[in-house]
Order: sequence, then C-alpha cells, then structure tokens
Amino acid sequence: MPSHDATRAPDPVPADRRLSRRSLLRGSAVAGATGLAVTAMGAVAGPALADSRRPSATEPSATDLASGRGEAALPNEPIVVHVRDAKSGDIEVFSGTSQTRLRDQDLAARIARAIA
Amino acid sequence: MSSHREAPEISKDPVADSTDVYAFVSPDAPGTVTLIANYVPLQLPSGGPNFYEFGDDVLYEIHIDNNGDGRADISYQFRFRTTVRNPGTFLYNTGAITSLTDPHWNRVQTYDVAVVSGGSQSTLGTGLPCPPCNIGPLSTPDYASLAAAAVNHLNGISVFAGQRAEAFYVDLGAIFDLGDLRPFEHLHAPVGMLGAMSGVNATNHLNVSSIAIQVPISTVTISGHPTIGVWTTASRRRVTLWDADRGETVLSGPWRQVSRLGNPLVNEVLIPMGEKDLWNSLPPADDKKFAGYITHPGLAGLLNTLYPGVFPHLAALVAAKKPRADLEAILLTGIPAGIITGFTNFTGPVLADMLRLNTSIAPATKPNILGLVGGDAAGFPNGRRVADDVVTIELRAIAGVTYPLIDSHFKPDGAAGAITDFASDPPAIGSRPIHTFPYLGVPYSGYNHPS
Repeated sequence: MPSHDATRAPDPVPADRRLSRRSLLRGSAVAGATGLAVTAMGAVAGPALADSRRPSATEPSATDLASGRGEAALPNEPIVVHVRDAKSGDIEVFSGTSQTRLRDQDLAARIARAIA
Repeated sequence: MSSHREAPEISKDPVADSTDVYAFVSPDAPGTVTLIANYVPLQLPSGGPNFYEFGDDVLYEIHIDNNGDGRADISYQFRFRTTVRNPGTFLYNTGAITSLTDPHWNRVQTYDVAVVSGGSQSTLGTGLPCPPCNIGPLSTPDYASLAAAAVNHLNGISVFAGQRAEAFYVDLGAIFDLGDLRPFEHLHAPVGMLGAMSGVNATNHLNVSSIAIQVPISTVTISGHPTIGVWTTASRRRVTLWDADRGETVLSGPWRQVSRLGNPLVNEVLIPMGEKDLWNSLPPADDKKFAGYITHPGLAGLLNTLYPGVFPHLAALVAAKKPRADLEAILLTGIPAGIITGFTNFTGPVLADMLRLNTSIAPATKPNILGLVGGDAAGFPNGRRVADDVVTIELRAIAGVTYPLIDSHFKPDGAAGAITDFASDPPAIGSRPIHTFPYLGVPYSGYNHPS
C-alpha cells in the first residue's frame, strides 16, 4: 500500500549510515551504471523476493534465479541494482515499487569486473 | 519559517518541501473540516518562463490519525502529471489563458486524488485540473475565476491543488539574525540594536503551491473521539536515475518519505540540525525519540542568552532543568481535559507531532490570531487557521507563557507575554485569505510583483 510504504519508519541503521537523500542519489548513480549488466542476466527481482529487505544467507541468490531455479517472471519495468558493498556481496535490487536485498559475492564481483 | 527549507536535505528539493499545514473546521461549512498542505516555498511570482509546479515524481499525502496512535488511519494522496501541449515554444502560454482548457496554456498540470483507509485505496478523482500560475494581466487576466474553476467537488469532498498566496508571516530576516525580534531588539545582546521597530514580513508578496481538501467531519472522526491529528508528507521513490540515452528520469523502488510537517516550527526550531533529515523520514508515532528536544527546548536557553535579564523566570526554569510538560502537551499529545476550562484536544499518551484539531469546537465568530493563547479555542494549537500567528504563539509558549498550565506557581516573565514578531496587529499580509475554500488568498502575479 503506497501510503503505508511511504510512512513506514526505515529499518534501524547505525547513525552514521542513516538515510540521506543525497547519499541515496549518489548510490543510485552507481546502481544505474551496473544495472544494465545485471538486467541482461535475467529476473533478479521477481515477486518471490519482493518482501525480503535484508541480506540473508538463506535467500536464493541472483545466479540461482538466472539459471532458472527462481522461476520468476520478467518484470516490464527497469531493474536497478545497487551494489552496496562489493566485497561482501551486499546488493539491493529495485523494480517497480519493490526492492529486495541480496548477498551474492559472485554476482557483485561480476558486476564490479564489468565496470572495471 | 514554519517549515520552509527547514532541514538540510529537503532544502535542496523544493517541490517536495512542505511549508505549512492548516486544519480547521470550515467557517462557511461547519460540518466539514478543511485540510491544507503547502509546498514549494518562497515562490517569486515572476519566476518564469518555467513557473512553479508540483513534482510529477512526488507522492503528496495529507494524513489523519483519529485514534491517537500517531499513525495514519486516513491518507489523502495526490499525484500530479504535467503535459506540454507545444514543445516547440519556450513560452508557458502563447496567449491569454481564459479557461482551464485554453489552448494558449502550454504547460498544464493535472492530478489524481485517492484516499487510503482501512488498508484499501479508493480513487476520488482523476485528471483534475490545476490552475495556471498567476502570470500577469495579459496572460491571466481573470485569475480568480481560473482558480475558482479549479475547485473540484467529488461526492461531498472539495479539492484544490495549485498556486496560492503565501499566508504564513514571519520576520525571517531578523529572526535568523541571531534571534533578533525587531520590536525587542534594543534589548538584544551583546550591544543592543537600533531600537524597537515593527517586524518585516519576509514572505509578503510570495506564493506557494497549495493542496487543499475539504471533507465531512463524520468521515474522518470515530465515535467518541472528535479530535484528529493531521500532518502531511512527501515521498520519493528510492531510486532516481537519469537515463541520458532516453532523456528521461527512471524511477524505481518503493516510496520513501522525505518531508513531514504537523505543527509549525517543530522541525524548524526545536529539532537540532543533525536530526532534521531523520525526523523528516519518520512517522509521528516515532516522535518519542525526539521528545527531549521539545521538553528541553534549546531556544528557551537561547532567549536568556540573547536577551540577558529580560526573562529571569524563564532562566530559572531552564537552569532547574524542569521538563516542559506544557510544550509536550501542546505539540506531542494535545492538551488534556481539565487544564483549560471547557477545552481539550488530547489524543492519548503517544508522543506524536501532529496538528490536533478538536472538531467539536465551532469556528469562532471573531477569530483571534493568537488562538488558544488569546482565548480563542478554535485557533492554534487547536488545529491551525490560515491567519493564526503561530510564530508569536510558539515563541511566547517557549518563553514560558504556557508553563503555568502545569505549574500554577510559575509566574511568566512580563516580556514573555509581550513577545511578538510584529508591532502591528494583525501583521500586514498582502493577499488576504478569502472566505471560502481553499481560503488562501489569490496568488500574486509576476507582473504586479516582479521583485
């Protein structure tokens, strides 16, 4: 529900990493640079992942989904990927009004190599 | 100012920057309540050729809490859409705009309005027209009629979105010059200034973009709880990406709140710089974490520093570190019954910055711009009317005028009750509010107010 999404308190975060719109937009620019590469890999952000918002070792990886194990439909809207930390594989994926959080070191490394 | 450019991040994003919220029982339709949220601050009327408009990429909302939990029970949502009729000209209009469908009007904005309640969203109207900005006598020769035509009536609800005259008044130039109040400046530390003089309304002859909705009281209150809490928010998508190849902005991800406003001046002067952006991103229900800034306002101590010897009783109160339960009640819970005879706008123990309006109190026949402090229970902080002098009311409250509400032994300083931003009463505001919805005055035209 848009209203509830819009007014929900953000996830607790350390004070030095609290939401800053400027930092968010900076992050977006990076995400845009890497997003095209990931879009070609397949359905990174399907409905099954729409509710996951934190990195989790139990979440399916993007490479699992790309190999067909995710069985998610391709969204019609652009997919934007934000590699928050390439070393740990902390990745956020956005599409439509959904977002999800992945931890996939291999994928992060491939994206990093793609823009190197 | 009330909330114009009040936080570092939102000051860089004017179209999402809420400036004022008003909530009052409609004086000409007492069975209804009028809610107004203003955005896009400090509009110079001559600011063309790209005149002011709402953000197509912003979700604007006016929220109502009717059970006292600091969370929205009803949210009115507004989304805008801009259409350029003729991209081959640089002009906003190519002739006089005489109607909302006039083909000479080149850059048109429409909006959809919906209500979210009980976990479901209902559309109230789509493609509703905004009026143009007030350009001047050649372009918008009968502006009042254009604006009146943009008032939409939707099954008992009236809505309007468009430019109006700024109604908030404050001597901005003085008050941000180290808390100078011109009528008091001969008492200002360290050397005293020129001498007492009247304030200068810094927002005079400026415009604002206003969203107004008038709804039946019965649709926003629950049985036995006539008091509602009101606030506005603006939200943006998590991701904004400029796609240079397509020449367009890509938006993605869920909405995230970037601006919030309930009571005037709370984020502006009570929340410290390092917390303002965070405050803007949270719902009122989370305001407990900010309560210390309300109950121990830095401004109270600053008054004693800037005006030495003028507020000795306030100085003693600050030195005693007594929490300002009066300010907590006014701004975070509402005033409980039994404090002021015949009045309450208490919503419960949840600390939440909301503009609280007891809808059972009828509009005043002779409104006092000092509201409750002036003996008028239909005015701020019982909601807020367009003309209420919220700067003076809140400055006096912070200076101790309202502390006797919770400590009858406290005697406010004589100066506290005399604080004002302006020596004239009421202060000069150029474009007077009108007496019918949407109440804010006709916006100033660029031709008549070019600078």
